[in-house]
Amino acid sequence: MLTIKNLHAQVDQTAILKGLDLEIAPGEVHAIMGPNGSGKSTLASVLAGREDYEVTQGSVDFDGSDLLDMDASDRAREGLFLAFQYPVEIPGVSNLNFMKAAINAQREHRGMEAISAKDFLALVKEKSALVELAGRLRDRSVNEGFSGGEKKRNEIFQMAMLEPKLAILDETDSGLDIDALRIVSQGVNAMREAGRSFLVITHYQRLLDHIVPDHVHVLSDGKIVKSGTKDLAMELEEKGYDWIKEPAV
Amino acid sequence: MADTTPTSKAFWEGLTPSVSSGLASVAEAGRAALDRLPVPTRRSERWKYSPLTAMLAQPLNSPEAPHGIPEDVHVQPIPGLDAYRVVLVNGHVVTEACDFPVAEGVICMPLFQALDEGRLQGGDADWSGYHEREWVGALHAAHAQDGVYLELEEGVTLDRPLLVHHHVTGSNVAACPRHRIVMGDQSSAEVVVWHSSSSEATGMVNALLEGHVGRGARLGLDKVQNEQGKIFHLAHEHVTQASDSTFRVHSMTVQGHWVRNELNVAQKGRGAHTVMHGVYLPKDQEHVDNHTTMDHTVPNCTSSELYKGILYDRSTGVFNGKVFVRQEAQQTNAYQQNANIVADQGASINAKPELEIYADDVKCSHGCTVGQFDDEALFYLKSRGIGERAARALMVQAFIGDVLAGMGSEEVAAEVETLLSERHGWM
Repeated sequence: MLTIKNLHAQVDQTAILKGLDLEIAPGEVHAIMGPNGSGKSTLASVLAGREDYEVTQGSVDFDGSDLLDMDASDRAREGLFLAFQYPVEIPGVSNLNFMKAAINAQREHRGMEAISAKDFLALVKEKSALVELAGRLRDRSVNEGFSGGEKKRNEIFQMAMLEPKLAILDETDSGLDIDALRIVSQGVNAMREAGRSFLVITHYQRLLDHIVPDHVHVLSDGKIVKSGTKDLAMELEEKGYDWIKEPAV
Repeated sequence: MADTTPTSKAFWEGLTPSVSSGLASVAEAGRAALDRLPVPTRRSERWKYSPLTAMLAQPLNSPEAPHGIPEDVHVQPIPGLDAYRVVLVNGHVVTEACDFPVAEGVICMPLFQALDEGRLQGGDADWSGYHEREWVGALHAAHAQDGVYLELEEGVTLDRPLLVHHHVTGSNVAACPRHRIVMGDQSSAEVVVWHSSSSEATGMVNALLEGHVGRGARLGLDKVQNEQGKIFHLAHEHVTQASDSTFRVHSMTVQGHWVRNELNVAQKGRGAHTVMHGVYLPKDQEHVDNHTTMDHTVPNCTSSELYKGILYDRSTGVFNGKVFVRQEAQQTNAYQQNANIVADQGASINAKPELEIYADDVKCSHGCTVGQFDDEALFYLKSRGIGERAARALMVQAFIGDVLAGMGSEEVAAEVETLLSERHGWM
């Protein structure tokens, strides 16, 4: 599904990713953990195609295509989804019109006809129930006036609507209370299936109690320094990151 | 000091003086004022960002009235709009293309006919005094042409909108259309003023609209400027409102080489409400200037002003919003907002809210913003698969959507959106 080889990336001449390798097979859930400034969010941004980030070396293969050769919208059309750490408020654009435009852009890319109003509404009903997103939130402008938890639920709602092949969750647990964390995790778990992979970026182990990963990686100074099973996350929670950083030097 | 340089004299000497006997004294006063008033230049504060130098470089002429309906006039410029219709070409009413409303209590005819019938006598021939104080107004008055006269008697509602369509065709054309709308007490009407031109047209449109909204009456005005040629467009709307009346105007500049809109509204009776909204999206090297004056002279009135602009390429814009709250006008609630997006580096906007408040028990708020497109929002839209152009279109529609939604006619709003989409390649 995703093969990252020797990825180097920088922002404003500052190198952040320094030779990252990662392989995610279809249906797998990978978690990336790491201390602040290790490059977790940079990895998410580079994969989603944010333009401020410059890839200086390495390659990313996404389901047989060169991901780095595509712009952000093409990556999404090919089935990549990023759940933002800080979802953006867009006053005046209704959440539903936004989703309809996105779905139709993706359908057009796949040679499909635009979705009918009836099918669209049925889809909205089904997917919004998944994250307990009330009608009044669906119908408002994108994220405008949403609480932190509502914004994150809206990210998962969008993911459910777009049914990506690979979803990257960038610190989706930050700013969530216990209930919102449970709802968001339920939404993600409901979408787990053989053909869909997840890359879960998080600071804390608690999210991984709900979304149980197949693999856990530790990112430090722009590289993956340790990989393991979900037990690694438990160990990190207990011991912190320092014991891992040191042997990597 | 009068500025009657050879350039400016030559500019208007080729124009035909106004031919209506009913406007003779107004035209005469206009000619006298032309000699007296200075030509607006950068030195005058009100014209600092919109000097007329480029317009004055080319002498103009007054084309004859067309025979029949010229080929390049779209008699139905707005798909689906079911409206009465007055068509003007280069300031002349084209009777063959008109469909005047005929109903009890509705008086609608060419302005010159109304003057001939003595409906506007003496001081009534001109309400605004535009020609006495403004060079541009004097230029208009001296060469005033025909237009629409609409009068609704007390309690009458115009059952369909009235479309006033002005079209410019030809080279170095001077067109000076003149309209008058008189809303009797408790009457109601929707008027659409649509300005178009052929793509090769050059010259000037110098248009005047005077209106009065009687007690408890309601007038809605959708004004759209969609002139494709190289036209210098000078518009002046002057509206007075009686008590408990509502006046709504939307000034939508879809396209125009050089546009100066002056909109003056004075509330003369308690409980009046005014809505002034507008949108401008100039591109290339176009220039759009909106000067508005909201004059609160009596207590208990409200006004809402909202202008939004997106400036592309090397275009320039001006917004100047004057709000007067006179000493008498206690309990005024006045709102003004001007929001701009400068989309390209070469574009610019000069925005200036001017509030003069002499009453002490009022609620006045105003805001003015100049910014760029939000890159983070664009990325967010693109990250869901929406392409760059479609993403920008969504953001533009979101930005101007609230102004469009408030227009009187859905058909006109839809056509404005379609024209903007085509022009800016959003589709």
